Amino acid sequence: MNIELLHRPGNTAAKVTLQPGETCTAESGAMIAMSGHMEITTTTHKKKSGSLLKAVKRVFSGESIFLNHFEPTDKPGEVFFGTDLAGDMIDLTLDNENLIVQSGSFLACEDSIDIGFGWQGFKTLFSGERVFWLNLKGSGKVVLSSFGAIYPVEVDGEYIVDGGHIVAFNETLDFSISKAGKSWIHSFLGGEGLVCKFKGKGTVWCQSHNPGSFGPLLTPNLRARKA
Amino acid sequence: MTTETCDIVLSGKLVNGADKDQVQQKLGTLFKTTEAKIAELFTRAPVAIKKSVDVSTAQKYQRAIEKAGAECVLKTQQPPVAKEQQEPSLSLVPMPEQQAEKVEPTGVQKPKKPGYDFEITGQPDYSFLTVQIPANETLKVEASAMATMDTNIEMKTKLKGGFGRFLTGESLFINDFTAANGPGEIGIAPGAPGDLLHQYLDGNTIYLQNSAYVASTADVTVESKWQGMVKGFFSGESLFLIRCSGKGDLWFNTYGAIIEIDVEDDYVVDTGNIVAFTEGLEYTIRKVGGYKSLFFSGEGLVCRFSGKGKVWIQTRSAAAFVSWAHWFRPVKRK
Repeated sequence: MNIELLHRPGNTAAKVTLQPGETCTAESGAMIAMSGHMEITTTTHKKKSGSLLKAVKRVFSGESIFLNHFEPTDKPGEVFFGTDLAGDMIDLTLDNENLIVQSGSFLACEDSIDIGFGWQGFKTLFSGERVFWLNLKGSGKVVLSSFGAIYPVEVDGEYIVDGGHIVAFNETLDFSISKAGKSWIHSFLGGEGLVCKFKGKGTVWCQSHNPGSFGPLLTPNLRARKA
Repeated sequence: MTTETCDIVLSGKLVNGADKDQVQQKLGTLFKTTEAKIAELFTRAPVAIKKSVDVSTAQKYQRAIEKAGAECVLKTQQPPVAKEQQEPSLSLVPMPEQQAEKVEPTGVQKPKKPGYDFEITGQPDYSFLTVQIPANETLKVEASAMATMDTNIEMKTKLKGGFGRFLTGESLFINDFTAANGPGEIGIAPGAPGDLLHQYLDGNTIYLQNSAYVASTADVTVESKWQGMVKGFFSGESLFLIRCSGKGDLWFNTYGAIIEIDVEDDYVVDTGNIVAFTEGLEYTIRKVGGYKSLFFSGEGLVCRFSGKGKVWIQTRSAAAFVSWAHWFRPVKRK
C-alpha cells in the first residue's frame, strides 16, 4: 500500500495505490474516486465481522462508524480519499503500537491495523461534541486528516491540549481531564472549559482549528431544521 | 516566444558551500513534498524532475532550484543553440504547486498560443483568474464571478441557452464582457474556494458539472445538456451538465484542489466530486458494492466512467460540507 498526499495543506487528498491482495480500510464517505476494478465492502469493524443490526445500533448510539474496505481485483488499483472540511493530512506508520485517534480525524489505514471502538478514555467529556475515540493497534500505515493544519507536539513531561484540537496521540501518554484556568469559573468564562493534560513521553498530533468551534459560527446563518 | 521545450535535470551536485540537509529541506518546501522524497531524488541523480517544459518556465524552475542550493541543468531537446535565442517571457507563471516527479494539472498553466493571455494566481486553495481581453473581443463569464475590471470593459447580460439554463440552477446567466476601444483586463473569482483549470478547446468537447463553469471565449459554445431522468436525479444537485464545444479558451473551477485522471478502461467517481470530463467517455450512475454498501458506505451512488478520456475531480465536495454543517443548523421550535 503506497500513500501519496496531494495538494497539501489546504485541499489535501490522499492517493492510495494498492497491489492485488492488499486491502485498505477507510472511513465511510471518504472515497472520492477509484479505479473501476476496485472492490468495496462495508462493515463496522474489521472485514468479515459483526452483524448489521448490531452495527446500526452502535452507530445510533454514537459509538461506531461504518468502514469501507477497498481491494483491487487481479491488477493494481488506486483510490483517492478526501474529507468534508478543508485541511491537511498526515501518514504515519505504526510499528506494533497503539494510537488513539479522534473519530473525525481517522481517514484510512492498512488492513493489518486493528480498529478498536472500545476505548473509553474521555467519552463522557466530549460526548456533547459527538466525538469518540478509535484505538488503532498493530503495524502498518495510517492516514489521518485534520481541520486546518496539523502539527505534532512532542510531549516530554506535561502538556495541555484543548479537546477539540486533538487529532491523535500515542497511547504511551497518560492523560487527565483538567481545567484550563486556575478556578472552574475562570475556565468556563474563558471559553476553554475542559482541556486534556498529557503526561509522560510521546507525541500528540494537533489540528490548528476546531470543527466544534467553526460549526457554531455557521449556525446563525443557516435555516432551522426540524428536531 | 519559442515553442522549444527542454527537460529540467537535477544533477545531484550542490551549489558551492551549500549544506545538503538544508538544500533538501528547501527543495521539499519548494515542491511541497517531503525531504525524504527529495533525498531519494538525489540518490538517483542525475534525474529529470520535469520533462518537456517550455524554456522560460524551465528557467524559472532552474532559478528557484539553484536558489535553494542544488545544481540544475536544462537539457534542451533541440539543438542547444536555440537556448540562447529565446527571449524572456513577460507573463508571470505561478510557481507550480506540485510533486517533483509528477506533472499535476494544477501546475503551470500558460495560454497555448491561440488563446487569450491570462494568469491564475493563488492556486490551488484560492485561485483567481485574470484575463487580458483583446480590443473589441468578448469574454463570457459566469454571472457574479467578475471581481475587478478595467473601465473600458462593457458588460451585457444575456440569457444563454434559453429555458434550459433556468433549470441548471446556479449559473442561470452568463455575462458578456466586451473590451471596447482597446484591450482590457478582467479579474474573475469563482464562488467556491479552490482551483481553476484552463483548457484550450480545438474542436473537442468538454462536459462540466453545472457549477464548474467560470469563463470562456466567444467561439466556445456553452449549452446545458439534459442528463436523462435517472442519471440527473441520482447525481444530486444537478439535472444538467454543461456542454462546452468549439474553439477557444475555457476555464472551470473546483471546490478544493483539482486532480486529473486519465481513464483507460473504467473509473469510479463520487457524484459530488465530478468536475468535468471529455466527450467520448460513457458514464452510468451505479451503486458501489452490495446493497449494504449502498446505504452504509456513505458513498451511495457513484458515477462509473468507461472508455478512454480524461476526468477532472475535486478533492472537496460542496454536498459533503453541507451535510457536515447540517448538524449546526438551529433547531426549529414548535
